Formats: sequence, structure tokens, C-alpha cells
Amino acid sequence: MRYQTSKNKNFNNEKRTINIALAGNPNVGKSVIFNQLTGLSQTIGNWPGKTVERMEGYLEFLGYHFNIVDLPGIYSLSTYTLEEIVSREYIVSEDVDIIINVIDVTNLDRNLFLTFQLIELGVPMILAFNQMDILRKRNRDLDFQKIEKLSHLPALPVVAVHGVGVHKLLEEAINLLEAKDSKLKSNRNSKIKSLTSFGKEIEEKIDIVMKDLEKNYVPRENSPYPNRFLAIKLLENDEEIHDLVGTNQETNFLSNVQVQRNALEDLHGEDITTIISSEIYTNIQSFTDKFIINNPIKKKKINNYADILDHLTTHSIGGYILLIMVLLGIYCFTFSVGGFLGGLIDELFTAWSEQIYLNYNEDNILVKIFWDGGFGGLMGAIGGVLVYVIPFFLTIEILQDSGYLPRAAFLMDRVMHVMGVHGKTVITMVLGFGCNVPACAGCRIMETEREKKISIALTSLVPCAAVMTVVMGLVGRYIGLEWVLVLFLINFLVILLVGRILNKALPGIRTELIMEMHAYRTPNYKVILKQTWVRTKEFVYKALPIIIVLGIVLEVLLILNLLEPVNVILSPITVIWLGLPALTGVFLIYGILRKELTLVLLAILAENLGLTIAQLLSPIQMITFSLVSMLYIPCFATIIIIAKQTNWKYALQISILEISLALTIGGMFHFIFVLFNAS
Amino acid sequence: MVNDKKEYHVPLLKCLTECEKGSELTVVNVDSGYGAKRRLAHLGVFPGSKIIKKQSAPWHGPIEIIIKGTSLVIGRGLAAKIIVSCEEESCSD
Repeated sequence: MRYQTSKNKNFNNEKRTINIALAGNPNVGKSVIFNQLTGLSQTIGNWPGKTVERMEGYLEFLGYHFNIVDLPGIYSLSTYTLEEIVSREYIVSEDVDIIINVIDVTNLDRNLFLTFQLIELGVPMILAFNQMDILRKRNRDLDFQKIEKLSHLPALPVVAVHGVGVHKLLEEAINLLEAKDSKLKSNRNSKIKSLTSFGKEIEEKIDIVMKDLEKNYVPRENSPYPNRFLAIKLLENDEEIHDLVGTNQETNFLSNVQVQRNALEDLHGEDITTIISSEIYTNIQSFTDKFIINNPIKKKKINNYADILDHLTTHSIGGYILLIMVLLGIYCFTFSVGGFLGGLIDELFTAWSEQIYLNYNEDNILVKIFWDGGFGGLMGAIGGVLVYVIPFFLTIEILQDSGYLPRAAFLMDRVMHVMGVHGKTVITMVLGFGCNVPACAGCRIMETEREKKISIALTSLVPCAAVMTVVMGLVGRYIGLEWVLVLFLINFLVILLVGRILNKALPGIRTELIMEMHAYRTPNYKVILKQTWVRTKEFVYKALPIIIVLGIVLEVLLILNLLEPVNVILSPITVIWLGLPALTGVFLIYGILRKELTLVLLAILAENLGLTIAQLLSPIQMITFSLVSMLYIPCFATIIIIAKQTNWKYALQISILEISLALTIGGMFHFIFVLFNAS
Repeated sequence: MVNDKKEYHVPLLKCLTECEKGSELTVVNVDSGYGAKRRLAHLGVFPGSKIIKKQSAPWHGPIEIIIKGTSLVIGRGLAAKIIVSCEEESCSD
């Protein structure tokens, strides 16, 4: 449970480091606060051994070095999701000095549910009440002195989007730490008092379990959880805590916990989760009653655009029309910006290459390997992938920040059931239209391993901007748009088919959708730009090196004349089965690197031969070729992401499944046409 | 909504999926698996809590409810396992 923090980033040893964890529900403005504090210093990584994203950043403030970790948004500290487990373990690890709990005041009760549980962890905490401006617009306010008095925790009003009160949080953190030091590092758990007082009979049971714990539980060194937290979680039948305590105890008191739990359940006639949750909510109710101030001034009825938008985007007809428009919008924007920039970069590279060839001779082997292969691969990655990825990230961040994507999930939930997943997969599939790479990475939002795997497979089959290039450039240009539509239809039928196959093949059952749909809000441009930048940076670091190396490898294969044999080896498939010219074999191999290369290389070859593509491929061959390019394999960067999100075995399985599907459908297509022509 | 005329009326028990949109409901039972039950309880949906059914997606899609002022979308299969009671006025068949 030890986590490596970025302490090594602290070059200045004189400065004291304060490690802060930002905790809170999803969509409460945590990431806005995180952005306000850390600026561009942030990095995205994964939690060790987990596929949960870890956002980290740092800043210097008032002579202190702050390491800030933005924990994933969670509703509770149970073990329902990986995010909750990760957060819980991290908060109690020694890497955290202070938690800043971000609370959305427009949704106080549910936010405090997490707060009340965080308090049980006994880690020094600051309460940041965000969106105070909106609350005050509704003629309500909070009595912060009261909150501090009741909770014994520092409580501050924050308007994160405007940066109001954000740095005050850090000042408070310094105060808190100094105060703690002056008390000679007394037990860090002693000062923080639980806010939840359960009913008498529950408290009795907690006491019994706590006494048992004290007697029997031999904690591992640095056992981080306070006994009260353990006792509550044991009563709640929390699997992780159960195992943690179970492996470290001498006598078998867990059976006693079971007895206590049963007694409580019998007494209340409800199961334990309901009992504890409703008790906490009751506590929250009486807590908030003491500090919410309602100003009895006449309420202005504001025409709420957010509500109108919500109504439209979830409408049973209009909603679907808007969904299609949004999809087209993402695609058009990504495609036009990417296409424009990509064209510029291609021209730049061509001009540059001519210069290099003039100076160093085109046949120079080093020029071939490093310029054509390595640098060419890099430029290709920038001009062919990065220029699409950036505008795509931008649109996605806007959709995400505004709150549209859950609406799409709401509308499409039913359809997705057919494929064994719920509506949330639509979110990642929408992302897939721009670029499969970040979209597959986004599949981590799925709750179970099974759903993540199916989502990844479906998402990797969504035609991305690069695939669109091939289809539009070949079929759209030379044959007609109606065939483009046919190809897309086939593509979506394949997605449906793969969904059905995986639904049957993977063990387990579909979980039901439980998803918050927060109100629309104006996207914060600072957050969007920073998130886009951070995600792009991440992509550059992880994917580009691999693409460069692969470019070099392919160039070496070309020089050694190993690609010709490849064409020959592949010809049974390409020529006999698919009815394509033998030379397409290599293109399909290159297409693994970047899908649009299949078309780009075809065009280059046609040019070299003094022909047009239409003379090189018959219309049927074009359709078959596009169809195969569309389906046959996720591009290399996507495969890497799939492997990272799941494992290499699954990435391989997906690739094989998609190759066989592409070949089956491509072959069928070819032979149907042959039959038609013969008759 | 206290109705004097119907002093002895018995609240109607229904599945969440069957209720009219816009009706104000009280959760009576969540008859689902442990995981979903716990998840819902943490979000405030447990026996005794007051919810409003806002809408449901077309073609037997998921249900959107309002719980403590926020929207929550619940898959239809799960919503069918949530038993609610409602005032007759808001629950007309």
C-alpha cells in the first residue's frame, strides 16, 4: 500500500513539503481547483498496478513545496469501484499530510456523505465548500463558523471557477500542519472526531467490534485505518477490510462481527448497508440544519438555459437527433482541423526531405533509416495522428466538462444492453469517432473488468478519423457516398456482432447503469485547455517513441527487401481470398501503424507508376480494400493502449478477432460480387 | 399532500418503472443484488428516501430520478427492482 509520490521532484531540500490529496464526489470542481493550484506542472499516471488514473501536480507557495494529488471522484469509501479502493488506501498512507475535501454546496447532502466517511479515516482535513456563488444566487448561505465549530475542521468558501478562496486552502493547510507540529506530533488520529453518531444500538455494536479489534487484531506495521473505521466497515461487510483484518488476527472474532451484524439486521428489518447509510444521511440532515442560512427574499425566477438544454438533449426524439449532430460535429471538427494541419506538416516534411536528399543523397542508408524511417515516422505521427488527437481532445473535454456525455449514455443505455454493456460505453464509443487511442483509454470508467473489456473491443471498432480518411478518400471519392454509408452500416453491424460474441464469451453478467447526471454548466476554458494539453503530453510521451521505433524497423525491412516476400506470403489472402492486387499486402501491414497509410501509400504508388488510383483498383477492389482497412486491426497505438488497460493477451485476442472478422467479411464481399458479375 | 377525504387510503406499491413521470415517490424496498443496493444506498436511495421520477428513456430505456436535488440515472432492470409507494394522485393508472 505504499505509494511513490513525486518527492524526488522536490529539488529544494530546504523547503518543507506538504502532501495534499484532493478528495470529493465526481463533478464537484475538484479538477478545477487542482488546475488552479498546479497549473501546467501536472502529470497523469496510473495508480500502481491499477488502471485508475492518477493526476499529480506541484507548486511552491509561501515557502512550502506542495505536492497535490487529485484523487478520482468517488461517492463513498466502500469497495464498489477501484477508484474508491485506490482513494481509501492512498488517503491513509503516509504519503498524505492533509486531505482537502471538495464539497459541492448545490448538492450538500450527498457530498457530505463522503465527508462523514473521510472524517472516520482520521487524517487532517480541510473542507472546501465549492460553488458558493451559485448557492448565494439562490439566496442561501452557509454559516462557516458554525461548520468549524461543529466539525472541528477548517471550512472555507470557494468559487473554484474564479479561483476565489483556492489558495486560502493552502494557507489553512500550512496552519494545520504547524499546529500539529507544535503539539509534538501527537497521534494524528486523536484530534479528529467522528461526526457520525449512530443510533444507540449501532454504537453498541461498533463498540463491541472495536474492543474485539483492540484485543485480537494485530495490525501490520503502519496499520493505517483507525479502529472505529475498521469496526464500521467490518459491520458493513466490506470485503477488503474483512480480508485485511482476517489475515492479521489471532482468534477468530470475525464470526462475532457476523453475529453483531445479524443482530442489527434483525432489529431493523433492513440489511446493514441500508441501516448505516440511512443513519449517516440522518446525521447529515441534522448537521446541515444547523448551518444553512435561508434568506427569505423573493426568488427571482431565472430562465434556466441548463434546464432547457437538459430537456432537449434527453428528449425521446430530439435527443437522438442532437446526439447524431454531436457525433457529426466531433467528426467534422476533428477531421477539418486535423486534415488542414496534417496537410501543412506533410508539405513541410516533403520539402524538408528534398533538402536532405540533395545534401546527403537519397540512397544513403542512414538517411533512409533515420530520416525516412525514424523522423518520417515521427512526422507521420504528428501529421497523421497528433493533429487529429489535439482537436479531438479539445471537443471531448468540452463535452465532458459541460456534462453532455451522460445524456448520451442515458439515451443509448437500452441499445447497449444488446451488447452486454450499459450506457456508459456510449461515452467511450463517441470518443472513438475522433481517435480510438484516447477512447480506449477512457474505458477505465467502466465498473467491472468484463464491461471494460467489451467496451474496449467495441470502441476499437468505431471508425476513427483516420479510417474515415481512407473510406472517404477511396470509396467516397471514386465510387459514391451511398457506398460509404453501406460501409458504415457494415461497420456498425460488426460492432453489434462483436458485442454479442463477447457478451456470450466473457464470463459474468452485465451490471445495471447507476450514473449521476449533473446539471449542464458552461465549460471552463482554462480547465479544458489544460486538460487537453496534459492529455496530449501524455500521448506524446507514451505513443510517439514506439511509433518512431516502428518506423525505423519498417524502413530496415524495406531496405533489406523483406517486404516483397511479405506481399508474396500475403498474396493467398490478398489476391485469392480478397481479390486485391498483391501490392496491397504491404499497405495493410503499414496500416497497422497508421490506418490512413493504406490510402496514402496507395496514392504514392499510383503516382510513381504514373497511374491514378482508379486505374490501380477496380471499384469492387476499392470497396473491399476500404472494408478491410476499416476493420482488420486496431492501429498500433490503440493496441498498446488496450494492452495497458487490460493485458497483452487480450490485446492480441482482440486483434486476432478483428483480423478474422475483416477477412471473413471482406472475402464474403468479394465472392458475392464475383457471383453477381458471373450471373 | 394530505387528503382529508381519503383518511384511510393505503399507499400504492409499485415498481419504479411503472410509475408516471413526475410522480413523487417514497422508496419502500430495493430488491437488487448487494452491490447495486449498496451503491444506491450511498447515493441516498434506500427505503424511506423520497425521490421524484423525472423521466425514462424511450424503448424501455433507463429511468432518471431526482434524489436530494440531483439527477440519477438507473438502468431499467435495476429500476424494476426498486419498489416505491406513491400518493394516488401522482400515480394514476
